[in-house]
Amino acid sequence: MIKKKICMLGAFAVGKTSLVKRFVKGIFSDKYLSSVGVKIDKKKVIIEQQEVDLLLWDIHGEDEFQKVQRSYLRGSSGYFLVVDGARRATLNTAFTLQKRTEETIGKVPFVLIFNKWDLKDEWEIDDKTMDDLSKDGLMVVKTSAKSGQGVEEAFLTLTREILEA
Amino acid sequence: MNERMLADLFNHLETVVMERLDDGSFRLVGCVPNWFKRFYPEAVSRKEGLRLQDNSPFLENFCIDAESFWVGKGAGRLKSGTFIEMDPLGDEYAMEASALCSREKKILLIELLGTAYEDRKAVLQKARENVLFREYLEEEVCRRTAKIRLREEEIALRLVWATESRDKDTGAHIRRIGLYSEALAKALGWEPQQADDIRIAASMHDIGKIGIPDKILSKAGKLTSEEFEIMKKHTEIGAKILEGSDIPLLQMAKEIALGHHEKWDGSGYPRGLTGKAIPESARIVAIGDVYDALVHSRIYKPAKPEANALVTMTHGNGKHFDPKIFECFLRILPTFRIIRQEFHGTETMLYLERPQMTLFRRP
Repeated sequence: MIKKKICMLGAFAVGKTSLVKRFVKGIFSDKYLSSVGVKIDKKKVIIEQQEVDLLLWDIHGEDEFQKVQRSYLRGSSGYFLVVDGARRATLNTAFTLQKRTEETIGKVPFVLIFNKWDLKDEWEIDDKTMDDLSKDGLMVVKTSAKSGQGVEEAFLTLTREILEA
Repeated sequence: MNERMLADLFNHLETVVMERLDDGSFRLVGCVPNWFKRFYPEAVSRKEGLRLQDNSPFLENFCIDAESFWVGKGAGRLKSGTFIEMDPLGDEYAMEASALCSREKKILLIELLGTAYEDRKAVLQKARENVLFREYLEEEVCRRTAKIRLREEEIALRLVWATESRDKDTGAHIRRIGLYSEALAKALGWEPQQADDIRIAASMHDIGKIGIPDKILSKAGKLTSEEFEIMKKHTEIGAKILEGSDIPLLQMAKEIALGHHEKWDGSGYPRGLTGKAIPESARIVAIGDVYDALVHSRIYKPAKPEANALVTMTHGNGKHFDPKIFECFLRILPTFRIIRQEFHGTETMLYLERPQMTLFRRP
């Protein structure tokens, strides 16, 4: 059995925990519960007849109160940078974390997730910004942990990239 | 202290103490708190050491740092940070591991955070909700400010329209003057808000022409000196129309209307100001206005090739124009050319565009 560690990274309240819950347990809650510390979930996926055990490290959101420890990133095969489409500043946090992650563990596959697609009308990040990031070669997926849209796709896309890396 | 007291104490502390063995496993020291048995039921009966790493990816990762700490005989404690483990019943427990050295032994502590974790979580939750609310309020302020801004722009547009319906200048000319001025302001390091203001304010530079008689304003030939004296009044009329407002955009528009015919050497009108006594906004607009007038045709004159226009303007450097702004103008000339290309029309009168009310939007 192949085991792969994947980290969930991003600013606080972007929906990292909700994405993991949606993917692992298929559930969602509208209530925002701030994460403190690290929680690890497991999920088995099958990619081209190959079973892969994903260890999903849901790491607390980065802000002035909590920083992501570099040691949490060690051994990651890939990671998600999660952005709240309705809060532009969370995109900057994502890039800061991406830089720190690359400095710590080198280049590994990652997917940039624009979450909260169900609140599209309130988004501050426009399609052009996302298209430009895609054109720059980043893997970009729009998701809604609430409806489930794009969630499975995001996890499977990253797993595939990890296996091909 | 007897064994029972010790057990009570360990339970009370909610901390597991373990010694790291040479084979990489951990031997429990003292009593095992009940909560720990949920994760390692074999902990009490087991003779050999526990392999914590096999059950907890988090501890497996932390043990790498702990090993370095033990080998280096670090002082104090190395803390793992908070992590959450789930027992077989699905209940979550917040813990923190620490590595420490004691009498040559490698010690690992695992502490159940319990209420301390809940308290911290509640504080963070509140703090983050406050941040989210602040972000929401800021966003709301931005939204409403933008709305007010649009209204200001529309009022400005209608004022310009009122003038242009009598003048021979075109909507494209008005638009270009705004965009040239914005480009110059940005290149000079103005704040974005001010640069945005000048884009609109510059368009009102000739608003005072509304007070000039038609026979002078529409005259195809050269003005007599008397007529020219009347024509010069458009600067003061414009300033009069725009003065007294507390809207920064209109205050700037007033400066420009009054000062765009002033010259750096003091030979301009209406007040004959020199150098920096002329508002910078007016000095900026003067350059864009002259450039645009030279390179475009009017009913009373043909357009000059740009190279010729630049020669003419260079003669005015330090006399008509502020040398610093003129230098900046030469530096960003390619931007002026792009604006000219995008808004090259001369035939469309502004009033024809009125229903769209989008004249001042950026391209």
